[in-house]
Amino acid sequence: MEILRVENLSKVYGAGEARVEALKQVSFTMERGEFGAVVGVSGSGKSTLLNCIGGLDFADQGKVFLSGRDLFAMGENERTVFRRQNIGFIFQSFHLIQELDVEQNIMFPLLLDYKKPDQERVDEILEVLGLKNRRKHLPGQLSGGQQQRVAIGRALITHPALVLADEPTGNLDSQSSQDVMELLCKASRHYQQTVLMITHNMNLTASADRVFQVSDGKLSELGGVCK
Amino acid sequence: MKHYLDLIKISAKQHRKQNRMTRLCIVLAVFLVTVIFGMADMEMRSQYIQAVKTDGGWHAAFVMDEEQGALLGERPEVKEIARYGALNYNLEGGYQIKGVETGICGFDKEFQEMLPDAEILEGTFPETAGEIALNENAMDRLGMQIGGKVSMTTPQGDARQYQITGIAKNTALTAELDAFCVFLNTDGFLALSPEGTGAAREMLYYVEFRKFCNIQKAIGEIRTQFELEDAQVRQNTKVLMLMLQTRDSYLLSFYLLAGILAVLVMIAGIFMITASMNSSIARRTEFFGMMRCLGATGKQVVRFVRKEALSWCKEAIPAGVAAGVAVTWALCGMLRFLSPGLFDGLPVLGISWLGAAAGILMGLVTVLLAARSPAKRAGAVSPLTAVSGNAGTVHAAKRAAHTRLFKVDMALGIHHASGSKKNFFLVAGSFAFSIVLFLSFGTLIDFMHHAVTPLRASAPDIAVNVGSEEMNRIPAEFAEDLEEYPGVKRIFRKGYAYLTMPADGKDVVLISYDERQLRMAEDTMVEGKLSEVLDGKGVFSVFLEERTLACGSNILVTAGGKERKIHVSGIIESVPDVLNPSVDTLICSEKMFRELTGEKGFASLDIQLEKDVTDTQVQEIRKAVGQVCGEDYDFSDKRMRNQEVRGAYFSMSVFLYGFLAVIALIAFFNIINCIGMSVSARMREYGAMRAIGMSVGQLIRMVTGETLTYTVFGVIFGYLAGLPLNRFMFRTLVTNRWGEAWSLPGWEMVVIVFVMLASVCLAVLNPARQIKRMTVVETISRE
Repeated sequence: MEILRVENLSKVYGAGEARVEALKQVSFTMERGEFGAVVGVSGSGKSTLLNCIGGLDFADQGKVFLSGRDLFAMGENERTVFRRQNIGFIFQSFHLIQELDVEQNIMFPLLLDYKKPDQERVDEILEVLGLKNRRKHLPGQLSGGQQQRVAIGRALITHPALVLADEPTGNLDSQSSQDVMELLCKASRHYQQTVLMITHNMNLTASADRVFQVSDGKLSELGGVCK
Repeated sequence: MKHYLDLIKISAKQHRKQNRMTRLCIVLAVFLVTVIFGMADMEMRSQYIQAVKTDGGWHAAFVMDEEQGALLGERPEVKEIARYGALNYNLEGGYQIKGVETGICGFDKEFQEMLPDAEILEGTFPETAGEIALNENAMDRLGMQIGGKVSMTTPQGDARQYQITGIAKNTALTAELDAFCVFLNTDGFLALSPEGTGAAREMLYYVEFRKFCNIQKAIGEIRTQFELEDAQVRQNTKVLMLMLQTRDSYLLSFYLLAGILAVLVMIAGIFMITASMNSSIARRTEFFGMMRCLGATGKQVVRFVRKEALSWCKEAIPAGVAAGVAVTWALCGMLRFLSPGLFDGLPVLGISWLGAAAGILMGLVTVLLAARSPAKRAGAVSPLTAVSGNAGTVHAAKRAAHTRLFKVDMALGIHHASGSKKNFFLVAGSFAFSIVLFLSFGTLIDFMHHAVTPLRASAPDIAVNVGSEEMNRIPAEFAEDLEEYPGVKRIFRKGYAYLTMPADGKDVVLISYDERQLRMAEDTMVEGKLSEVLDGKGVFSVFLEERTLACGSNILVTAGGKERKIHVSGIIESVPDVLNPSVDTLICSEKMFRELTGEKGFASLDIQLEKDVTDTQVQEIRKAVGQVCGEDYDFSDKRMRNQEVRGAYFSMSVFLYGFLAVIALIAFFNIINCIGMSVSARMREYGAMRAIGMSVGQLIRMVTGETLTYTVFGVIFGYLAGLPLNRFMFRTLVTNRWGEAWSLPGWEMVVIVFVMLASVCLAVLNPARQIKRMTVVETISRE
């Protein structure tokens, strides 16, 4: 089942001599439960692609369909609500809310909908993340790996159609990186989440179903590594 | 770039926008101090101008003989000295011109420079003992001309002939008393003074001291030198007070309070700048860490921050002073516009050097003081901070937000405000500080209401009262006709009658008011019903401290030989028409007055004049009144006195309400500034929240929650600290002098809540715009 469709995405920064084509006619699709990895050198356009897919940034041309909905056709407020219900974000620097404990951080997208969170689901995620006995800890009391696990929990709590991870292991040691990758694979396999991850580390693409390379704004598929 | 401190200029260019808030804080603090001191300075100047106009520019006067006077004139601190004497001041002494009691002033020509009331409007000052100057009133009524002759009789029965050399100005007192007043030179005065009286031997020597002289010390020395008694020394208290040259303990306590308030304002400014600089430093922690990484010592970083702070002063202080001076000009212009006659002497484009100096000094001192702790903090940043990527303004929280009690956006807002106790108390404390200032200054309004009584709406410009022989002899038709005279705005007419209460044989005064006056009297009604009085069914009883006829009671009076029952429908506060405070006074409608007394005329006319009325028109009114009332009547021109009262009230009102407005502005800008800085510091966090799915509306609610938390606690702390101070100041300024007991300052508290709520709304506006404009990708990848 097709979850994500990217059609002819193009994005240009600057003008004149400073003009940079960050994305050139990028098109691809992803199915439900697929784990995709995007590789490329710094400044190749990886993050721009991810931000456009996540509705954080706009493309100059092209369209992004998520679960059949055109992201760029939505109004600002509608897109925000759609994003929090359908897209999970995982950032390199975690971006946890310092004033909320582990449990509250995970529940945060649900709290934004003013919904009472399903406690069983929260417990399940805490269990999967191995953070059950840290649920009342504040981000400042956690290690980097633990913080990234909380961020993964937050990305998964709403059962999003798509999880976008921007260098999720960039700030972590090797053991924590391995833990995070296992969790993302688990999310893809166990919860049938579609995951698209940006990474510099080619070794991490070993877990991905499909690997894309962005070079000078152009996207090419290098082929799947594992299924 | 030749020196590492040159980096300040480069950094300033790069961070111009980020530093804007701090520069704005310095501008604001300097502006506020300049305005406060500038306004105080201008108020002192305007009060001084008024005091000199009404009381004269002399500093002290000494009763002494000629020999002592000559010695006094030799003292080095004496700038100007002039002799002055007065006869028949009470207008009962028997000095008369054409049968009219006449006040006599004799003085040296130099005295005119010390007292504007001694000014000669036309002609010249009498040079010889046979010359005289008459006041405008006497000239008009006697139909005299300059160069003419006038004869004045003395109590001894002599008739002295004088040649008129000039016309003297009517003073507020002579206009009000409708009195004749003449000026003689000192020789003429001494020649007129009866032999063997004090006036012949001793005169008052008016002295103006030189600038920068310690006047109180000089007066003390003069008293010792000439062995003068207390009664022989007079001081121009108001002028000396405005020159800060008094030892009056009440006034000294007033200065002390003013000093305390000025210091409080300065502290408020220091709070504001420190908070702003702290935030600016915190935002650049990584930058200072990087400087340390590259080899800068802690001391060099401290120097960098201090120099940077001073560099902001270069632009901010002149801007603040300029804005302050502009506002002071506007206020002076307003005073001149409101009361042109009184404030002509006030410079429209004058610069208050006191205000400017206070602003500059305050700016520099505050910035240097405020830079101390941020500079130390910047100097203590570890080089590791820059490389670890942990630099930022959002510190690790110590406890989680209460998402169960409040919705998540509101819970986060409250937590942002209360998360750090130190920051919470600093910000809420600074809000509270403004409230404390407002409540403290608010007592000065009460002080003003007691010290400077405003004119009543019914205050007459001219009061006509007929003699007591046949009281109500002004016909109603005349009062109506007079209202049509050019220059007359409206006339309040009153009838007076003495009634007796047969129960105890005591008198009671009955006064009739027309409908307009009765409606105006309602403002001072303590209890009762106006409608009954208007309908002629009852009377108002005027409040007396010892006894007041009770509201609702019926009293029996004898009027016109008959016993009549009068119903007391209400009680009003004391009115100026009360003839005798020990006698009960009743106020009724004209209809009831006629029914009770049978009198159809009036005893008194309170005439209010148009603004542009001319003296000729006033003379026409006087003539018309004279024709109807005959000889036995008082014509009291109160215009000058009213103008003085109005002017004093205006200037003090502008000054005090201006002060309150400035304090409200401090609170207002402080709230806007604090929230603006807090939002700027958290923008990255907000960006992440937006990425995760928080809507713009939810972010704005979060900022509102934060602002409200600070404000609500600021108001509570402000009330807790401000109300006792308000009570203390009220007791010092008002209760101790006028006896009025302190009560909760209701309107001030309402204004505070209103200003705070308005500030919250406006404080959220700019961050809301910032949040709406925020690009999520740029925000989270910045810094």
